[in-house]
Amino acid sequence: MKTEPALRIGIDIGGTFTDFVVYDPADGSLRTFKLLSTPADPAQAVLEGLDRIRADGRSHLPGSRPLEIIHGSTVATNALLERKGAPTALVTTAGFGDVLQIGRQNRPALYDLFADPPEVLVPADLRFEVDERVDHEGNVLQALAPGQVDEIVQKLKTRNISSLAVCLLFSFLRPEHEQRIAERLRRAGLLVSLSSEILPEYREFERTSTTVVNAYVSPALDAYLGHFEADLGERDSLRIMQSNGGNISLDQARRYGVRCILSGPAGGVVGCDYVARQAALPPAAPQQGRQAEAGKGAEEVRVITFDMGGTSTDVALIEGHPTITTEAVVGGCPIHIPLLDIHTIGAGGGSIARLDAGGALRVGPESAGADPGPACYGRGGEAATVTDANLVLGRLPAEHFLGGQMPLDASRAQAALARLGAELGLNAEQAALGVIQVANAHMERALRVISVERGHDPRRFRLLSFGGAGSLHAADLGRSLGIPAAIVPPLASTLSAFGMLAAEVIKDYTRTVMLPGETPIPDLADRLRTLEMCGRDDLLAEGVAEAGIRLERFLDMRYRGQSYELIVPFSQSVYADFHRLHAHQYGYAQENAPVEVVNLRLRAVGQAEPPPLPRPPLQGPDPSAARIDERRVLFLDGPHTTPLYRAELLVPGNRIEGPAVVVRADTTVLLGPGDVASLDANSNLIIELGR
Amino acid sequence: MNYDPIKLEIFKNLFAAAAEEMGTVLRRSSYSPNIKERRDFSCALFDARGRMVAQAAHIPVHLGAMPLSVAAAIEKFGGDLGSGDLVMLNDPFRGGTHLPDITMVSPVFLPSSARQAGPTGSLLGFVASRAHHADVGGMTPGSMPVAREIYQEGLIIPPVKLLRRDQMQTDILDLVLANVRTPQERLGDLQAQIAANRRGAGRLVELVARYGPEEVNEVMGQLLAYTERTTRRLLESLPNGTYRFEDHLDDDGLGGAPVPIRVAVSIHRDRATVDFSGSAPQQAGSVNAVFAITLSAVYYVFRCLLGLDVPNNAGCLAPIAVLAPPGTVVNALPPAPVAGGNVETSQRIVDVLLGALAQACPEKVPAASQGTMNNVTIGGALPRCPRGTGEAGAGFAYYETIGGGMGARPDRDGPSAIHSHMTNTLNTPVEALEYAYPLRVQRYAVRAGSGGAGRFRGGDGIVRAIEVLTDCQVTLLSERRGQGPYGLRGGGSGQPGENRILRGEAEIPLPGKGTVDLKKGDVLVIRTPGGGGYGPVEA
Repeated sequence: MKTEPALRIGIDIGGTFTDFVVYDPADGSLRTFKLLSTPADPAQAVLEGLDRIRADGRSHLPGSRPLEIIHGSTVATNALLERKGAPTALVTTAGFGDVLQIGRQNRPALYDLFADPPEVLVPADLRFEVDERVDHEGNVLQALAPGQVDEIVQKLKTRNISSLAVCLLFSFLRPEHEQRIAERLRRAGLLVSLSSEILPEYREFERTSTTVVNAYVSPALDAYLGHFEADLGERDSLRIMQSNGGNISLDQARRYGVRCILSGPAGGVVGCDYVARQAALPPAAPQQGRQAEAGKGAEEVRVITFDMGGTSTDVALIEGHPTITTEAVVGGCPIHIPLLDIHTIGAGGGSIARLDAGGALRVGPESAGADPGPACYGRGGEAATVTDANLVLGRLPAEHFLGGQMPLDASRAQAALARLGAELGLNAEQAALGVIQVANAHMERALRVISVERGHDPRRFRLLSFGGAGSLHAADLGRSLGIPAAIVPPLASTLSAFGMLAAEVIKDYTRTVMLPGETPIPDLADRLRTLEMCGRDDLLAEGVAEAGIRLERFLDMRYRGQSYELIVPFSQSVYADFHRLHAHQYGYAQENAPVEVVNLRLRAVGQAEPPPLPRPPLQGPDPSAARIDERRVLFLDGPHTTPLYRAELLVPGNRIEGPAVVVRADTTVLLGPGDVASLDANSNLIIELGR
Repeated sequence: MNYDPIKLEIFKNLFAAAAEEMGTVLRRSSYSPNIKERRDFSCALFDARGRMVAQAAHIPVHLGAMPLSVAAAIEKFGGDLGSGDLVMLNDPFRGGTHLPDITMVSPVFLPSSARQAGPTGSLLGFVASRAHHADVGGMTPGSMPVAREIYQEGLIIPPVKLLRRDQMQTDILDLVLANVRTPQERLGDLQAQIAANRRGAGRLVELVARYGPEEVNEVMGQLLAYTERTTRRLLESLPNGTYRFEDHLDDDGLGGAPVPIRVAVSIHRDRATVDFSGSAPQQAGSVNAVFAITLSAVYYVFRCLLGLDVPNNAGCLAPIAVLAPPGTVVNALPPAPVAGGNVETSQRIVDVLLGALAQACPEKVPAASQGTMNNVTIGGALPRCPRGTGEAGAGFAYYETIGGGMGARPDRDGPSAIHSHMTNTLNTPVEALEYAYPLRVQRYAVRAGSGGAGRFRGGDGIVRAIEVLTDCQVTLLSERRGQGPYGLRGGGSGQPGENRILRGEAEIPLPGKGTVDLKKGDVLVIRTPGGGGYGPVEA
């Protein structure tokens, strides 16, 4: 008998729901479901979901199927944000024990005399210094004194501390001192995070911070995963999503918890990337001179992802591949390993609108959250929120919210907006329009940060909207940025979990080398080879087949004397490419100025086989079978009689002319007058935006 | 209602985003650590009359000063400003503050291709960027000397056009570069500033293309009125009366006596008068503040008390009259040296303002913070060619400021080892510093126990010890070396700062301000002041 292939399962834990996406390679089926999250013990919802999947599996197949789970855990993120990680000690070069506390010596808020800097993860009495020193060329100025480490071990034992970070100056050039300390500490049974392993790059505060975060969150993640692993069958496997958009083995995740922070949003971006690749996109808008040169090819995916939830909104940019940052800050702690560059703002459907002391209409950052939620939830919320405004304008059909399971109270929304309007000297509808415009201004600013501010022209991108609240705003936002089309995928609310299934195995490696720009290309290639060997070995150890390994090489480069680097793909023309990229990003290049190669960078990718998306046959353009109603909807240019469509009744090939509202169980899509949407072969709603 | 609450909020975001984007371009493409690592720069947008509409949250000391730069550019060139022109200046008596801060002002015009109504080529407004350059010549590397007249402090640049119709005026550029110690780095920084201004101008043009010139202009006016309203609300909430306070600078750096600064803040309904009469006359040494600095300090203090996220614009100061008699240390006249007015005297002006306002609103005002920026400049000739700098024998100039203790607040301790009030510049990472300069940091730590005692403790200062690996010159410009920052309501003073050299076994005390020659192997040790405590120590 042929063995049944494993069921592949993506799991994402959100604030309200835990999402499951189950792919069965045997029949190509893809299904999704949601359970209420269990914040006190997040594993509870996950295990319940797995039980349900196992039960389903048994119901139509004899014997249990092995499960291949890819999981985005919030455990590491929450441990950091809520400061509930393991008590952590830090060992530094003598004289630098306070490196974390001093940080960059700047205060968090310029004009707030009462602001406090973020709480330091290692308290003063857990900072230990050792006599040793290495200089900027890797020379040992002072050898490590061995006895001191033994004293530290003794002190940690009496304090009952088991996790510890070691970060010595210039250890990325000469890691031996850190390694010797680690050897001694590990012999004593301590969990040790070394800066020369976690982030072998210069800038001691950021390196220390990243390393300490690893030491701080890994024990919590380890405990969680241990609990989880115990529940798995012998043939089941578990892999963990990372914030760089790839996944890693359980064993790696337990040791490198820092890589798992913010992995949920990363899953969303990977999901978008996959969906966008598959989507039948309308032809790209005509490109203009300079920008056309900067692009790498016509087939390249270019989308801006837009995930608007109840209290916050995440945006990211994909140009060929999701954009990476090495300058993230989470919970006040710099984390400088490569992460997907996701920009978050505190505005969402639950953001509260109010008039401030100077007479401006503010929306957020205060949020009604899920409880009590917007006024229209009828759970005691009185303040007008973005969701209430959408309801008052007729854009959000009250009776179809969450597939009709949770009808909204339009009269409460109306009352809340009428109260706000009275303060503004406007009626409820005018006030609601104002609230939407202000909320959109915040979103637009976020979208500009990740596009325009980083040298990308949004007119060359499409806006991919997922998450519950965004599709009511996507068309207007796209329009204001000159984006030609918006996309709403069918998996909108479970896209993060789906993205985990689509994710590849990704491991990132860097090393600061600080080489002059005259360094011959073959020399650089030689140096990169060391990282390539690490990458290949690690991927083989992860179980990736040799043929599925892809190694991407990059250099972090700058003009000598600058201190921000550009990441440039390594090739024979890497120096010329750097000048071009600098001109593209910052508007000027200095072809004659000396260049510096700061870091070597390698991304080792184990290619995955993402589940194919269902492709029902294309049918005719007439959507009338899905039309369920019509109503008055208020747009900026006035009221329009607007048809309502039920998304579940639309079939690929259908075409809808705006204005229109498309309701779905998990989201509502608004088309403005002049917008035209069509359902593509993968059931993505592709909205070509009118003016 | 003569304003639109919705447009106000939308444009607040749009203008702020444009100013911030300028800052991102400047920071990422500049060369000198002052700008790229320490972020000692500011970017702002102005209306066609030169009124500041938005400034990104960069450096407070630039707040009140940026508008005077734009005013100086307008005064000098008036109608002779065209599209693609860019005015550069650093003259403290004509729009600048101290010489290392070079400001670039670009007028922005409606491009002839714009579709919207409005006279083609009409002036839309200005964008400006200001950055602290690591060296602009003068008697010591880093251009922050203890001087007797401004001519010793470096190259003075009156408002000149660095760009005409987008063309670099290479004569002017060459003149500037010939007068500085690190010309390659200067060139990079100046180019970064030009790039930032271009980005800002581009954004303003885009806004006008999207909303039309009338609407943009109209909302600019509304935003000024908006910030003004919030300031008036604040003033109305304070009890009417006159509140006085006095504090002093240690000395002027030339061995003089303490330099008193006096203020009387009068609140009358929704207006205030801030009067510095009675402050010391301008000094022989470089602690003199030009009026722009005093204005910035007043601006900063009221901006903090607002406690509201309002745009930084000209409206904030509209209901506040600032009186600073010319010829005093808070409104110096040429040829006074001014390098320290920006970085040190500005802090003391904040201290006296907060001391006065603590009487009006005790719940909003902390005890004194470190009250200095601890300016350290180290310069000399490179012994070899460390990576990241020029050739052997070339000059280097390294400048840093060091954080200290913040004052205790009425409800909690003050933070330690942090920059307060008029600056918020970052440190240079130890590893970045050692890659770039012949220096080695031996210690960088919290100065435990230096915060003032009290019911709530002042924050602790910092200890920083730097070994020099070649003979060089160090210039110090630091304050609160005599008397520590004051406590409030019975809280104790923070410990004063200390400067020393370790040379072999010897420990040589240094004054708060001055230039000394260091020998290879010397270690410069700076201990920065702790913040003042709040309330009496509870038994």
